[in-house]
Amino acid sequence: MDAHGPRGVAIMSDAAPTIQNRLRDEILPPLIILALALGFWELSVKILDIPPWLLPAPSDVVDRFFKTTTLWYHTGLTVLEALAGFAVSAVLGVSLSAGIVHSRFLERGVFPYVIVSNAIPIIAIIPLLTIWFGFGIAPKIMICSIISFFPIVTNTTRGLKATDRRIIEFMRSINATRLEILLKVQLPSALPFIFASFKIAASLALVGAVVAEFYSSDRGLGYLIITSATQLRTDLLFVAIVVLAALGVSSFMLFGYLERVTTRGERSDETQ
Amino acid sequence: MEARRQRDPAFSEVPAPPSVAASGPAFPCIVLDRVSLRFQSERRRVQALSDISLSIAEGEFVALLGPTGCGKSSLLRLVSDLLAPTAGTIAVRGEPAAAARRLNQFGFVFQEPALLSWRTTLGNVQLPLEVVGYPPEKRIARCEELLDSVGLLKFKDAYPHELSGGMKQRAAMVRALAWNPSILLMDEPFTALDELTRGQLQDDLLQLWNHERKTILFVTHNISEAIYLADRIVVMSPHPGRIKTVLRPDLPRPRTDDFHETQEFMKWTRMAREALRS
Repeated sequence: MDAHGPRGVAIMSDAAPTIQNRLRDEILPPLIILALALGFWELSVKILDIPPWLLPAPSDVVDRFFKTTTLWYHTGLTVLEALAGFAVSAVLGVSLSAGIVHSRFLERGVFPYVIVSNAIPIIAIIPLLTIWFGFGIAPKIMICSIISFFPIVTNTTRGLKATDRRIIEFMRSINATRLEILLKVQLPSALPFIFASFKIAASLALVGAVVAEFYSSDRGLGYLIITSATQLRTDLLFVAIVVLAALGVSSFMLFGYLERVTTRGERSDETQ
Repeated sequence: MEARRQRDPAFSEVPAPPSVAASGPAFPCIVLDRVSLRFQSERRRVQALSDISLSIAEGEFVALLGPTGCGKSSLLRLVSDLLAPTAGTIAVRGEPAAAARRLNQFGFVFQEPALLSWRTTLGNVQLPLEVVGYPPEKRIARCEELLDSVGLLKFKDAYPHELSGGMKQRAAMVRALAWNPSILLMDEPFTALDELTRGQLQDDLLQLWNHERKTILFVTHNISEAIYLADRIVVMSPHPGRIKTVLRPDLPRPRTDDFHETQEFMKWTRMAREALRS
């Protein structure tokens, strides 16, 4: 959860490499490894003559990817659920954190329940929400929001509290209101923490959506996974997994990028 | 500035008797009357300040000198209404400290620059102006003028991590002066700097003070810094924080680097050291 090791960031904020250098140093090695692994897999399947229901060759998976016309429909739905749930959590979580930082009462009264929300296994709530809200999109959004709530609240609260005490003193000495301190000082300085939590929360929301679809759905990537598994359409199963992985990686990269941008310079010299 | 230069040197050699608030100046800016401060921690009480009485004149440069833990920083926070005294009263220009804070009379400078890392120098300096309600159309001009006066105009678009320690502290000083507060509260502002940079910033500060005469309350544990800068030196002792004695060197200004080698300077340094030790 903590991606703020001063060491890690110091490496990132080293002299800006040129695009060619980055291509060569950072992008190329994983691509080479991937190509080797896929080649090995393809060859093994062909040579050992493994049946496709057990392990399809990468080429079969790619083939299936392009042939599955409903893939984007299912993907879109899952992304929609995850995004909506995540957005609800982001708004509520950051607001609640702001409240917690400004009120001792709220901190003591609410924080135990934030922890409880994390302790309840999400799987256990899905049937309940299905009883209450049916098989539609609403319970899935709720699941995504519940599952992503905890990391957002804890990290944002930590970030807001980590604000330089002297800047807050300075703001108070010029009679700044609490809202001004929050908006001009605390929130901006907590942004790296917030984006770090979004990084985790977004992938959790995606998991939440898929798991919720396992239980009760006739559409979405979760549904696609369950049906292709029961029908032993393993190639389709792989397609769904790859799409999910790609979604997870892109959200991780997006928020990781935002985290780095907002951290700019701060940690390399201020915190030793 | 002229008036100070022409001050009779013979007169200034006569040390004023060490006195506390009793001989209050004509136009008191800050008056502390029997102020005490106690911190209540879980297990014990800490008497941070005990029975502090002090009167500071308008435009006076006062140094609070003392070892760590003598409550000098707490004193600044009491004056600026960031802390409330457990006993005694504080008046700033005849009003309670809270009123002065509401009128934005205080500019605070800390030991660390405490700049916002995501704002440029100009953005950092502008921050208080946004809060204080300074007219937006004048903000940039005012800030650039001040940055220019400390040689930072070239770095107005630089982020704090791109500045040296001295530059950052200059920016923090400019930030505290931006809306032209009448009282400058400085909490060991130059302690974290190297000797050379510290000297430069001391001179910058004296020049600023000459330029826009402010009341300055300057906390330090550095004897020569106190004597170099201040009109009056309040020597404090710890546990609990008390005023031990008040020195009034009254040495001629403007002071330059040579001042450090003068007999006067040596004499007052010795006196301050003895006052601290006794």
